[in-house]
Amino acid sequence: MQEEFNEIFLKYHDIISLGVYGTAIGLILIGLYAVLMKKNLVKIVIGLTIIDAGIHLLFIGIGYINGGTAPIFSPGYEDAAKRMVDPIPQALVLTAIVIGFAVTAVALSLVIRLYKHHHTAKIDQIKSLKW
Amino acid sequence: MVITPIHYIVVPLIAAFAIPLLSKIHKELFRIVPGIVMFYNIIISFVLMKEVNEVGYISEIIAGWEAPWGINLMITPFSGFLASLISVLGFLIWLYQYRFKKVIDVDEIKSYGILQMMMITGAIGIIITGDIFNLFVFMEIVAITAVSLTSFYRGRDGAEAGFKYLLIGGFASALILLAILILYTQVGTLNMAEIAEKMHTIPLGIKSTILILFIVGFGIEAEMFPLNGWAPDAYSQAPGPTSAAFAGIVVKAGIYGLIRVIYTLFDIEGAFDFLIIAGLVTMIIAEFSAVKQKNLKRMLAYSSIGQMGLVLIAFGIGTKTAVFAALFLMFNHAIIKSLLFMTGSILMYNSKDKTISSIHGIAKNLPFVSIMFAIGAFAIVGLPPFSGFWSKLYVLTAAADKEMIMLIIAILGVSIVEIVYYFRVVNKLYFATDIEHLDIFKPSNNSLIAMGILTITIIVIGFYPDLITGYLHNAADILLDRSSYIDFVLKANVPIQ
Amino acid sequence: MKKVLVIILLVIIGYFLANTFINIPFGENRIGDINAEKPTAAGYYLSNTKEKSKVANIITAIVVNYRGLDTLGEVTVLFLASTGIASVLYRRKEEEEETERLSLPSSTIIRSGARVLFPIIALLGIYVFIHGHLTPGGGFQGGTIVATGFLLMLISYKGFNTNHNRMTWIESLAGLTFIFLGIWGLIADNTFLGNIPEVGKLNSLLSGGLIPIIYIAVGFKVAVELTGILDILLKIKPKK
Repeated sequence: MQEEFNEIFLKYHDIISLGVYGTAIGLILIGLYAVLMKKNLVKIVIGLTIIDAGIHLLFIGIGYINGGTAPIFSPGYEDAAKRMVDPIPQALVLTAIVIGFAVTAVALSLVIRLYKHHHTAKIDQIKSLKW
Repeated sequence: MVITPIHYIVVPLIAAFAIPLLSKIHKELFRIVPGIVMFYNIIISFVLMKEVNEVGYISEIIAGWEAPWGINLMITPFSGFLASLISVLGFLIWLYQYRFKKVIDVDEIKSYGILQMMMITGAIGIIITGDIFNLFVFMEIVAITAVSLTSFYRGRDGAEAGFKYLLIGGFASALILLAILILYTQVGTLNMAEIAEKMHTIPLGIKSTILILFIVGFGIEAEMFPLNGWAPDAYSQAPGPTSAAFAGIVVKAGIYGLIRVIYTLFDIEGAFDFLIIAGLVTMIIAEFSAVKQKNLKRMLAYSSIGQMGLVLIAFGIGTKTAVFAALFLMFNHAIIKSLLFMTGSILMYNSKDKTISSIHGIAKNLPFVSIMFAIGAFAIVGLPPFSGFWSKLYVLTAAADKEMIMLIIAILGVSIVEIVYYFRVVNKLYFATDIEHLDIFKPSNNSLIAMGILTITIIVIGFYPDLITGYLHNAADILLDRSSYIDFVLKANVPIQ
Repeated sequence: MKKVLVIILLVIIGYFLANTFINIPFGENRIGDINAEKPTAAGYYLSNTKEKSKVANIITAIVVNYRGLDTLGEVTVLFLASTGIASVLYRRKEEEEETERLSLPSSTIIRSGARVLFPIIALLGIYVFIHGHLTPGGGFQGGTIVATGFLLMLISYKGFNTNHNRMTWIESLAGLTFIFLGIWGLIADNTFLGNIPEVGKLNSLLSGGLIPIIYIAVGFKVAVELTGILDILLKIKPKK
């Protein structure tokens, strides 16, 4: 079963790698586009989270090893250490997701306050300070 | 109990988690506890600086895993110097704001104290950590607290400045994360010493991509042009003590990140020239923008950006004298700009529309604050006998050693611009008489003591620069010695007993 | 005009990123020999976690122990975010009485469904963070699941209120537990967050020394903090 999977995987390896990297870079670019072009503050915050999502996907992507399994010693597979994928990026991405969440939450609270103050969420109508 | 670098992080964290509970016991505790923590930070700095000047490096490993595998905290004379500077400033800022907003609700002030304390802790964490991802985590602590503090006042446009800061800061952290990711694929480690050791194995193309991502990411925090759009707004909208903390503490941490990456991690020569050019552009644009400002805090913010440009230039020259001069500049900028923001925000508190023209002639009513503002202004433009004079002189000496004539001319020219706008303010403070000031807000005694300590430091260092130049020379030597840092972390690290 | 400039910028950035990642082959083994004399960090974790930490889930060992300072920072970031949001959206007493929680009128089906689901979701979350060292998941994931349960209750019941006083206590005590377990390591083992792994055996609930205890504290803290953040962010509607 495992060997069969590995065979299929290696056959389509290029397409899969293009898929992972392409999706991640695509997400980063889409997020940047939203941050730079959108006028609505909430959409800008969403753009920021999309950039984060792209980077997190890249982290998982670089940690993968062909034919590797999850870095957990399941009962019965206690000596699988040699076949495991890189655990560090997965640990880092956990930290990065939590930090990204915290930043998003603070950003949304600022949006709520801006909306209360200016009665709009359009960025071009909020210019007490020059942008 | 032995004092080790981890105390810098653990003690403020205990306080931060305990303050919500402590304030149920007594209402005054959440004001006092951050002060105790800040004072303890000074004790830690004192002990560690004494130790590090004898042994050269201190490395503490976390959770018992040795350096390339676990996270380690590093105190070198360079990082120890910055950490002590931040500790002392943090305590003075706490002293300055001790009775800050006594009148408003308890809950609001409670979060202010926690955020201020954790911003300082985050900055110290950036400086003492030896692990690149850990540095990123501490940078996010600083970013989140700084944004929350910027938008603390509801009457001002704080939320707008905060949102701008958050957007740019979020972009910066995304870039740093991307840089760490690419770096990890190349060297397979996150420990800074091991990265530095394996740096030469990375192909040049990828190496320069990583470096660009790092420079842009840290450049935002270090107010480098053109990434400093957040700074004037954030400085002018934040509460007064927070502006002082931004100038004295947050920016220092950003510069530290930039310097650690360029000096220790990477071995690309071109990065130094890039620093000179970036610093020059930053300095010239910021100083000329400062002249146009009508709001005093915005003017100080632009001046701060300009000074950071000068620091970048000095680091870019890269010789021993230049690094020494850059450290001296950072020290001076920290104490002088904090003083200017402290006095400036008291002056601004008495103005109607926060502009310079509404505080004409206020020196009669606030003599102490005005004289301290004037001393700060004279010191920052580099007039003898104040401390700012020496640092500028050393930068010019370093540039002259490398025969960079154009650089010297540019620095001197910009100094004239600086003199113009600072003297204009001081002149109006003392000699303009077109406004009558009634109903003056006097600073409390603890604020006066904090500002007085900074003023005395400026004058004393001006007369006896030797008091700190020894430390700074030592720090500069260590910073330039890339290989001994690597060797120490990777070979000879033992937990401190 | 701006659109064209932005698209050109994006194309340049995309080109550089693609160019960089072409040189980083997908699925390549960069760990190297895990039993080498001086393995890479990942190799060291893979080969040593089983004996030295006695934790089945290597990611948990990295998050809580090897890179424990990161996690402490991460918990702090979350704590500061909730403190910061409370300060940004702070309301005085009189304003507090004028606002209420944003909620759509919910039907009986949703309300009864929420009431049935809430204990199950909370139980699942607690299960996930108690078994953080054995199965995928852990404090952050489990805490988030518990917070989703609270979110369900918050949006379907107008009268459902969280007890702020109790939440402050749980938040502070969980944070202090993390730090004091770290200090225990400092006293017992001479390094902060040092572990005592001699307890229990691999793949049983009681294994890994202090790691599961720290992760449970993190789980409580995350659950409470996320619930608090959601509560503050939802309470924005002016009362008519």
